[in-house]
Amino acid sequence: MKNIIRTLRTERGWSQQDLADKLDVSRQSVNAIETGKYDPSLPLAFSLARLFGRSIEDLFDDETNVASAAE
Amino acid sequence: MTQPRGFRTASRRYLMVFWPLMALYLVTLFAGVYFVDEEASPLYLRAGLAVAVALPLFGVLWAMLRHVKETDEYTRMRQLQALAEGGAITTGAIFLIGFLEIFNVISDVPLFLFGPLFFFAFGLAHCRRGFGKTV
Repeated sequence: MKNIIRTLRTERGWSQQDLADKLDVSRQSVNAIETGKYDPSLPLAFSLARLFGRSIEDLFDDETNVASAAE
Repeated sequence: MTQPRGFRTASRRYLMVFWPLMALYLVTLFAGVYFVDEEASPLYLRAGLAVAVALPLFGVLWAMLRHVKETDEYTRMRQLQALAEGGAITTGAIFLIGFLEIFNVISDVPLFLFGPLFFFAFGLAHCRRGFGKTV
């Protein structure tokens, strides 16, 4: 599933390891989510949304709304 | 009851058990080889040694399963996939070698070798999937 997590992370100057530490997951988890190889569970998606101050719908999108949400 | 604890806590708890148990395994193994004569020592001593050497490995397996339950969801998925691949490869090897023995193609293969084969296949499955690059 496409998402804007990498954009939001780099905006804040965080590395993948920084984000992984904040979520208490492995760096590989962050990479897999950012690249769309892995879709997180709802609890992890909520954690991401809370961390970035966005809604889950802002972060994740099936295909179409990702670009506009990143702006 | 075991429950998810997050990646760092789960990894720390795993390593806190893994290294002492591996050290205990090596100490028990070398002490047994040094002090117990596999031909002359009494049966109870040899049997006790065999159990004592195997017990730390049981502990490591338990720690692996606990880590799978406690770590983050993506790591858990990767580990379960690697465990499944390792198990499938080992089971396949057991069947193949078993039939080769039944049809007298090869002579007896030590059962002991399938343990290391499982861990090798498990590790290989992990490496094959690779790790994501840092961005």
